[in-house]
Amino acid sequence: MLGPGVAWYIAVAAFLFGIGALGVLIRRNTLVVLLSLELMLNAGNLALIAFSRHFHNGAGQIFALAVMAIAASEVCVGLGLVVALNRKQLSLDVDKLSELRG
Amino acid sequence: MTAGSWLCLLAPLGGTILITLLGTRISRVAAAWIATTSVFVGFGGAVWAFAAMLSRQPESRSEITTAWTWLQSGSFKVGLELLVDPLSVVMMLIVSGVGGLIVLYSIGYMDGDDEERRYFAYISFFVFSMLLLVEGGNLLMLLVGWGLVGLSSYLLIGFWHDRPSAVQAAKKAFIMNAFGDATMALAFFILIAHTNSLSFATDFNAHLSSSAANFVALGLLGGAVAKSAQIPLQTWLPDAMEGPTPVSALIHAATMVTAGVYLIARTYPLFEQARTIELLAAGTGALTLLVAGLIALVQTDIKKVIAYSTMSQIGYMFLGAGVGAYSSGMFHLMTHAFFKALLFMTAGLIIHAVANEQDIRKLRGIGQLMPFTKWCFLAGALALVGIPPFSGFFSKDPIISSAAALGTWYGWIFWVCGVAGAFLTGLYTFRLWFLLFPGEPTPFVREHYHDHHGREGAWTMLVPVGILAVLATFAGWLQWTPRWDPFTKWLEPAAPTLAAAIPTNTQEYYTSAAAVIAGLVGIGLAWVIYSEQRIAIPAAPFWRRLFENKFYFDWLYDRIFYEPAVATANFLRRDFEDPVILQTGPDLGEATIETGGLVRRLQTGLLRTYVFFIAAGAAAVVLAFLIAR
Repeated sequence: MLGPGVAWYIAVAAFLFGIGALGVLIRRNTLVVLLSLELMLNAGNLALIAFSRHFHNGAGQIFALAVMAIAASEVCVGLGLVVALNRKQLSLDVDKLSELRG
Repeated sequence: MTAGSWLCLLAPLGGTILITLLGTRISRVAAAWIATTSVFVGFGGAVWAFAAMLSRQPESRSEITTAWTWLQSGSFKVGLELLVDPLSVVMMLIVSGVGGLIVLYSIGYMDGDDEERRYFAYISFFVFSMLLLVEGGNLLMLLVGWGLVGLSSYLLIGFWHDRPSAVQAAKKAFIMNAFGDATMALAFFILIAHTNSLSFATDFNAHLSSSAANFVALGLLGGAVAKSAQIPLQTWLPDAMEGPTPVSALIHAATMVTAGVYLIARTYPLFEQARTIELLAAGTGALTLLVAGLIALVQTDIKKVIAYSTMSQIGYMFLGAGVGAYSSGMFHLMTHAFFKALLFMTAGLIIHAVANEQDIRKLRGIGQLMPFTKWCFLAGALALVGIPPFSGFFSKDPIISSAAALGTWYGWIFWVCGVAGAFLTGLYTFRLWFLLFPGEPTPFVREHYHDHHGREGAWTMLVPVGILAVLATFAGWLQWTPRWDPFTKWLEPAAPTLAAAIPTNTQEYYTSAAAVIAGLVGIGLAWVIYSEQRIAIPAAPFWRRLFENKFYFDWLYDRIFYEPAVATANFLRRDFEDPVILQTGPDLGEATIETGGLVRRLQTGLLRTYVFFIAAGAAAVVLAFLIAR
């Protein structure tokens, strides 16, 4: 088998996931939060593909394709929301969108 | 024969339905005449049935006619059936005949009342219910009639529903009667369990053990005692005088309250099987006739005196039926229906003529202004006391002599009670007479008396009173047991007198002598005390208080039932309803709000905290799995 072992891929995937998660938690711009979400999803994809290769099982690749489809839909909804917010001239700062506070 | 009985039953019901449906489209007088006509048509049906029965042999005079099966449950079956036999025909004639006269009388008495139509619908409904009671071919039909007369009695006592006292009296009557209905229903359950039938055609005794027979008889007696206002369930009857006077005459004197006697006569085989209970009925009657007679001595309301006298006379009937002389009890029921309805209706004439005043102390000397009323009342009073040749003499004395015929110690106690009752009857009846009729009218009477176009009342009131006065005087001649007894013979197939209760002629003669002398002594004493005033009314404060408080029965029931019930209800309201039931709802709501307040702070509205919780949760789950591996 060519290339590095599965552990490397997992490490990269974990690293990417961590960046994404931190981005969601820390950043306040809605667009960047969406971007970070994509990063997390892709980290997941990377892990799926890596395991697929490691175990010689195609199911992981199929699953990664499904995740991509979901990610695309999610981005559509997310960007739609951003456009709607902008049209209403609302702030794109997620911390300011806190009307559901109890 | 059966067609007559159906006509008799359904005509008054038709009258009720017609008046109810036509409502205000007909005049009040028209409603009154519909009711009167329907009841008289019913009387025609009764006469038809009677005539048809006369032409039959005594053995084949009993017939059950079934319209359809009413209830069926497994092999237990109850039909909508009528029993036509000598006993029910006698009751049909009394109920529809006296009922018709009283409804006619009501036309004059109720004239001008705002709700006359309702009154006439009720009263013909009562006649229907009473006929259902006496004609029912099984015990369940009898119970239906029994309940419906209770209902119509309730409606008519409370007819003047804007008087709180009338409403109270109506409720009291209903509740005390409901007690009797319940004991009767229990008796029926025992009967169904043992014999699987309620039809009068069944020989119940073949299937009943002696204890079951005792319970059944006791349950039936409970119903009879409640309906007929005997001790200890008698307190509703005097209060029931709140109703219009014709109602008192029809329901609370002539027909409904005597239903208990009919019940005993109708189910006599059961009572003879449970002889102890039957004698208990006789004892109840003997006690009631004395107690009611004593209370009647101190009443000042004209209707209450007659009401207590009714209780006392029904006591005689219970005594008669209880010792086994069913036909004597039924004969007294018939003559009593005539003379007591007469007394109530003459009282009604007086009350109607003097602007609804009922206090006898104010009405002294009314006889001078109302001579017709006076003589009719006298006929009723003499019949009540049992002075020959008035009807009470012929019907009351056989009852007392039947008690003597028993020959046992309790028979003699009953005999003494009966004769003492005759003395009391003379005393209280003629106290009423001497206080009301002779002498100069009081200023109150002069001021308030108003005649009806020169007569003492409308013709619709005077004619029934006249007819009943004739009946009260002469109806007793139908039977004088030592010499001729067609009435007893007539009832023989339906309710034969117990052999032990048939008195010898000697017993009849000396009993009659004793009872008549006791009655005359009572009358004489009333004359000396209340007319001549030679003897002052004995002070005897203890006894007077006892009688005026009606032997403290009401007081006792208030203490035993009413007040504890009210106290319990108040306690439950104060310590359970208010703090527990009513407070639970608000408490629950507040607790929810408080708990909600605690977790509310978790909802920050900040996306990042939610994400953090999700991430932390996921991390915790992963960690937990790793540790638990």
